Amino acid sequence: MVRVLNFVCVALMGITILALYHVSERTRVERVQLSRVEQRIADKRVEMSVLQAQWEQVSRPERIQKLAESSLGMGDTATIQLSSLELLPRRGDEPLDGAQIRSANAQGPTQAPVQLVKVAAHTGM
Amino acid sequence: MTPPPTVFQRRIVIGAAICVMGFALVAVRLIDVTLFRPGHIAGKPSDRVEISRADLADRNGALMARDLPASDLYVRPHMFDDKRRAARDLAAATGADEPRLAQMFLSKRPYVLVARQLPQAERDKASHLGLSGLEFEPNTKRYYPDGRMTSSVLGVTDPDGKGVSGLELGLDSKLHADHADSVVTTSLDMRVQFILAHEAEASMAMFKARAAGGLVMDIRTGEILGLVSLPDFDPNARSFDAGDSTRNLMAQDVYELGSVFKIFSFALALEDHTVRLDEQLPIGNGYKIGKFTIHEAEHMPATLSVRDVLGQSSNIGTAQIALRSGPDRQRAFLMKVGLLSPVRSELPETARPLYPTHWGTIETATIGFGHGISVSPLAFAAAAASIVNGGRRVQPTFLKHTGDARGDQVISPETSATMRELLRYVVTDGTGKKADVPGYDVGGKTGSAEKVGPHGKYTHNLVTSFCGVFPIEAPRYLVFVVLDEPHGTKETAGFALAGYTAAPLAGHVISRIAPLLGVPMNPVSVVKENS
Repeated sequence: MVRVLNFVCVALMGITILALYHVSERTRVERVQLSRVEQRIADKRVEMSVLQAQWEQVSRPERIQKLAESSLGMGDTATIQLSSLELLPRRGDEPLDGAQIRSANAQGPTQAPVQLVKVAAHTGM
Repeated sequence: MTPPPTVFQRRIVIGAAICVMGFALVAVRLIDVTLFRPGHIAGKPSDRVEISRADLADRNGALMARDLPASDLYVRPHMFDDKRRAARDLAAATGADEPRLAQMFLSKRPYVLVARQLPQAERDKASHLGLSGLEFEPNTKRYYPDGRMTSSVLGVTDPDGKGVSGLELGLDSKLHADHADSVVTTSLDMRVQFILAHEAEASMAMFKARAAGGLVMDIRTGEILGLVSLPDFDPNARSFDAGDSTRNLMAQDVYELGSVFKIFSFALALEDHTVRLDEQLPIGNGYKIGKFTIHEAEHMPATLSVRDVLGQSSNIGTAQIALRSGPDRQRAFLMKVGLLSPVRSELPETARPLYPTHWGTIETATIGFGHGISVSPLAFAAAAASIVNGGRRVQPTFLKHTGDARGDQVISPETSATMRELLRYVVTDGTGKKADVPGYDVGGKTGSAEKVGPHGKYTHNLVTSFCGVFPIEAPRYLVFVVLDEPHGTKETAGFALAGYTAAPLAGHVISRIAPLLGVPMNPVSVVKENS
């Protein structure tokens, strides 16, 4: 009986040692792989960070404006050429719904045709 | 009945039990390591660059400053065959000073620093030289995608990643405290910043000004949406170009701002009911106070209504209005709006205002129209915002936040409303006509002040400024621009006063930023040139 018990214990010990070694080795391999993946993630993050900074640089307004002016012939829009949907009269409405016209007496910077940018004087404010 | 176990048998059982316990411990540890602590088995990569400083972003999330990977290059000179050639090649590859490198390489030093914070491109160049003994230490370099455009407000860091100036210094603890992947969101709006910089640069060139600056402020929250000071510098470069300046004239310098200061004299007089808007004041050719005579910058009629005193920017009329308030009341009021102490914000650059120790009658009169007191443009803008935002004190801030940040009441809402009406009048009928923008009812005030020369006497050099708010019915934004020593042009008939220089600059800025900021536009009537 004692011999059987001893044999079982020794066998169990051997199996456990093998299992432990196996797990340990797998753990080491996984750790190396994990480390590589983490390193790759970190590198990619740094690359993304650099690319984002470069994107911010090439898309800065100063550069876009120069390109728009030189390549597309675009320019600033006079404020009187801008409006919102709420301000547009609906079909059948009186222009501006008959509301009092309020205006300024100076011109904003504009590249619009000269004959369109002079506005009526209003000094009631 | 079984015989009791022998001593030998008992020892075997004890030994077996110890073995079982040992196996059990190993098994428990295995389960613990593999199932319950999976994180412990993964070591941290050791050669990763540690980013220690958070990003700076504008209010819409656009990147303004970020730490990017870089390298410090060290060399072991004793490993070079030809030290002079190595110095020449390394200087060409990295931009380092060649004579310094040659001197260091020829000395007995075992280890020499060639350059810090080399970007990847320069590191590659150095690597491809084929020199032995090069060692690259991982580091980071602060990068500013917008370059000069934000330099005056963001400032820079030193090679060790510590803030040296601007918001980099003012927010240093916040930038360090937040972990690497975080972002500190500022109140700045890059679109506004760009427009401000672009227009200020154009005006500075057009009027051949020595310097120019401007800011845009949300008068309810105190947030600064843009701040520009020219000349500026390239924060990504290691050296300055000729004419560059790190000085932030909007926060660091104090100026006698001239007539734009009349805003406070009028606000005080209206608050104390010492004037009526329809009251007529005698103007004449000069106003004597003791041995001093106050003159106008331009010819004025014999009398002006109080409304026109501000509209036409009469010094004599404003002096009379200021004298009705008196020195004590004027001083207390300016203290209340924050003009007699340095303005506090996240920007470390600040300036102490200059004002007379003896605040007598003549000082009251001159301070009334903006002479004899010098404040920073940022402090002025914050105080002016308090006048038009319903009369409540507001502190400038460079951090994004939402909600009303207005504090103590400094003038009544009624006085504030009257001031807005008067500022609109200045733009429609007074000296600020060139600041008006169709569709956005701008109110504002011009200021032209003669600069004090080196001997304490006024020179003919001007500092011109314009403080504008829009839309005047319910103002949300304040634009304040300054031109230092502008010169008249053919288009301005040689005039360099604020109405010809600073007012159009502010108008240009407002016309471009108002649509971007979503300010509702009022209808305008458009007529033909010849109608």
